[in-house]
Amino acid sequence: MARVSFHHVYKQYRSEKKTSVTDFHLEIEDGEFVVLVGPSGCGKTTTLRMLSGLEDITEGEIYIGDRYINYVSPKDRDIAMVFQNYALYPNLSVYENMALGLKLRKTAKHEIELRVKKAAKILEISALLDKKPNQLSGGQKQRVALGRAIVREPEVFLMDEPLSNLDAKLRTQTRSELIRLHQELQTTTVYVTHDQTEAMTMGSRIVVMKDGIIQQAAAPEFIYRQPANLFVASFIGSPAMNLIEGSIEEDGGTHYFSNRRLRLEIPPQYKPFLASGKLRNVVMGIRPEHVLLEPTLEDPNDSYGAVIDVIELMGSDSYLYLSMGDTRVIARAIEPGSKFHVTDKIDIGFRMEMAHFFDAESGGNLGIF
Amino acid sequence: MMAIVKQIRRLTLFETLLLLALLLLAAFMSLPIVFIINHAFKPFHELFLFPPTFLVKDPTLTNFYELFMRPVARIVPFSRYLYNSIIVAALSMVAVILSSCMAAYVLSKLQFSLKKAVMAMIMLALMFAPETVAIPRYLIVGWLQLNNTYFGHILPVIASPVAVFLIKQFIDQIPAELLEAAKMDGASELRIFIRIIIPLSMPAIATISIITFQGVWGDASASTLFMQDETMKTLPYYITTLTSGMANTVAGQGMAAAAGLLMFLPNLIIFLFAQRRIMETMVHSGVK
Repeated sequence: MARVSFHHVYKQYRSEKKTSVTDFHLEIEDGEFVVLVGPSGCGKTTTLRMLSGLEDITEGEIYIGDRYINYVSPKDRDIAMVFQNYALYPNLSVYENMALGLKLRKTAKHEIELRVKKAAKILEISALLDKKPNQLSGGQKQRVALGRAIVREPEVFLMDEPLSNLDAKLRTQTRSELIRLHQELQTTTVYVTHDQTEAMTMGSRIVVMKDGIIQQAAAPEFIYRQPANLFVASFIGSPAMNLIEGSIEEDGGTHYFSNRRLRLEIPPQYKPFLASGKLRNVVMGIRPEHVLLEPTLEDPNDSYGAVIDVIELMGSDSYLYLSMGDTRVIARAIEPGSKFHVTDKIDIGFRMEMAHFFDAESGGNLGIF
Repeated sequence: MMAIVKQIRRLTLFETLLLLALLLLAAFMSLPIVFIINHAFKPFHELFLFPPTFLVKDPTLTNFYELFMRPVARIVPFSRYLYNSIIVAALSMVAVILSSCMAAYVLSKLQFSLKKAVMAMIMLALMFAPETVAIPRYLIVGWLQLNNTYFGHILPVIASPVAVFLIKQFIDQIPAELLEAAKMDGASELRIFIRIIIPLSMPAIATISIITFQGVWGDASASTLFMQDETMKTLPYYITTLTSGMANTVAGQGMAAAAGLLMFLPNLIIFLFAQRRIMETMVHSGVK
């Protein structure tokens, strides 16, 4: 087990003008489960591949433990990688698939057998050891791929969207198994995904990336509560945070967020940035669970009319897709969905103490000082 | 057997007609095979019957006897040609498989700057008929002093653009992650090639083995052009001498018929064993 440090890492492909990864700087602690998340093409996989050694590093340094590994070949980095499409050797049995890495490292035969059997037991694939990969289901293949990584007992696990090829139910199940596995082995893990749910549930720390640049790196809960900018706010959370454009106005010492339809009082914790006197265009972000619906409204005067467009029943609660003129708002309703009907007109309000304000131009969160 | 009968019963009228038509077509297409087998066992007078018959009435082994025994009077026996043919075909197959696989792997999976140019040259090579390069080939074989050696038979066929192309198409489908996984497992390029690429491209290799075998086994040009020594010539060449290039239409016909069957048998056997794999490759590579 080891720490992993990225020191201002850049990646530029020869065929492209722009850098694919820009100034990636991150310290990963021993035993951490770090998730790199972002839309496709954001450089997360490239970053992982630089760490694995399958891709050259254009600039910057990467360390595993105290070892400078920029020019160390993949096999000598003491890492193991799990691929999205499993990448099992189709001509070898499950046992041989798991054993190959050890065999190539000249591990003693009885030791190989011991380790493979142990890994198979952890992953509950002991019965499959004699089968060929094409006789296995997707979930079983993924376990074998994990097993191949585990038997090597590497310093770092690298996982490149390992759950993307599984169906929804299996994905949820495997997700929790991966968490359990990490708790058991405590191996430093770098996990790449485009699925924010996976990132939220698995990571001990999430690194949100866009266009090759780290947007925010923090614990899942912190990112959810304090998104650093508009991109993170809209990317993390399902359904996405409501983003409403408007400006800030002052009226007798009180600040208001207003646009053509809304005029909302901004709570006092935002005072420091408001005191600077820059009254500018902002985007208000508010999560669906912080949109108040009719019966729970605290102050009926502070409410606004909205029409229900779509109701999405999720089981325990449902999401209402509302429109206020040309502004669309998603709200979470905890009450049984039958209370609301499509095209109904209802009154809604906002829990302003939970709102975020972002600079409309730079996208930065004005509440993070 | 019962399963087939059951399946036939379930067919619609159209499907039955289609089946019949296809059966007729298959029977018609197999006539040459029937002919070549029967022809080899025909006694002398039956060989020249008019109209010619497909089936032999009075089978005899005289043709084979003559084929094997006649050359004893000559300097080079039949078995020498057969031996040469087998050696040349086997070595050519091994050489073509090795060189094509290695070239295809490099062209398919490795990145280097001249890749496009190399691919273009291979495509270009596909377009030349063998006759057009006969003279340059002759000159090269002459310069390298390969006349009257087995290598003179083999060298001209080693660089096979068709084989490289077929295998490359096949290797293209092997996901890059598989090779990356192997690299991380600690495998060297050679090991990846032997343990992963070769086993996974077996169907393509089977196909090019057959293509190569057929090409070399039936080809008399190397014997005609590069081999002056009679002991280095191969079977197809010998067969053309039996009938003196069709100038002698009577004397060698029986032996030629028997030799024709012997030439044909290996192809038939190989195809029967490997036909599924050939189909696989053809479907995969989009080559028809």
